[in-house]
Amino acid sequence: MDFMKSLAVAATGLRAQMGRMRIISENIANADSVSQTAGGEPYRRRIVTFNTVLDRQLGANVVELGQIQNDQSDFLVRHEPGNPAANAAGDVRYPNVNSLVEITDLRDAQRSYEANLNVITASRKMIQRTLDIIKS
Amino acid sequence: MPITDIPILSMLHTRMQWHQVRQEVLAENIANADTPNYQAQDVVPPDFSQQLAMVTPVGLATTDPNHIAVQAGGDESSFAADHNQHYEIRPRGNGVNHEDEMMKLGNNQMDYEAVTAMYTHSLGLIKIALDR
Repeated sequence: MDFMKSLAVAATGLRAQMGRMRIISENIANADSVSQTAGGEPYRRRIVTFNTVLDRQLGANVVELGQIQNDQSDFLVRHEPGNPAANAAGDVRYPNVNSLVEITDLRDAQRSYEANLNVITASRKMIQRTLDIIKS
Repeated sequence: MPITDIPILSMLHTRMQWHQVRQEVLAENIANADTPNYQAQDVVPPDFSQQLAMVTPVGLATTDPNHIAVQAGGDESSFAADHNQHYEIRPRGNGVNHEDEMMKLGNNQMDYEAVTAMYTHSLGLIKIALDR
């Protein structure tokens, strides 16, 4: 039945958005994670990618998370000579995480998640209507 | 004669199948709303013009020149066309519009409910004929 396919496709959407939220929360949690060694690299922001994959068993285009990539932008540099992670010049490199960008991305993920939930609700109602024919 | 050979029921049956397929396509669109280079898809509604042509239209007879002629069978051109327009394409090359897809999803659901209700009523007519 095609409605079951709709439910399965929406479920892959939910899973992909959950993975995206997980990476976003990792970024936010590590927004201040500096290096353990003096002059080392801090936490580097990670970015999720999405791929359309044809699920042959299902016969539908489902979505799945692709490789999680690193954000190659520059780190934030602050002059803190007293910090254990400071290099010889007294500069500390902070992660390239911008909280505002992460929160915006989180809202977007939430919106997509809700859209997929709506598909599930609508499909379930339609299945219910089909069953109502038998009852009448 | 199987019950699905009755024209109205077979048309409703086709329509219900179309709604199911459309629901799946809309689910794909929404699931892939963040995939780069994905374009939203839709399915073309079934065309019942051949089946409708077989039905003899019933109109009102004009027996007096003062009668206003009423065209039989309603307006045929009232079916909405598939415009297939994309309002925006994001920099990642993704052409899925959430609001648009939600509208289609709601329409699909309401139309499906209408079709199932019509199916139920058609079955009711058969039941009346059978005196059950």
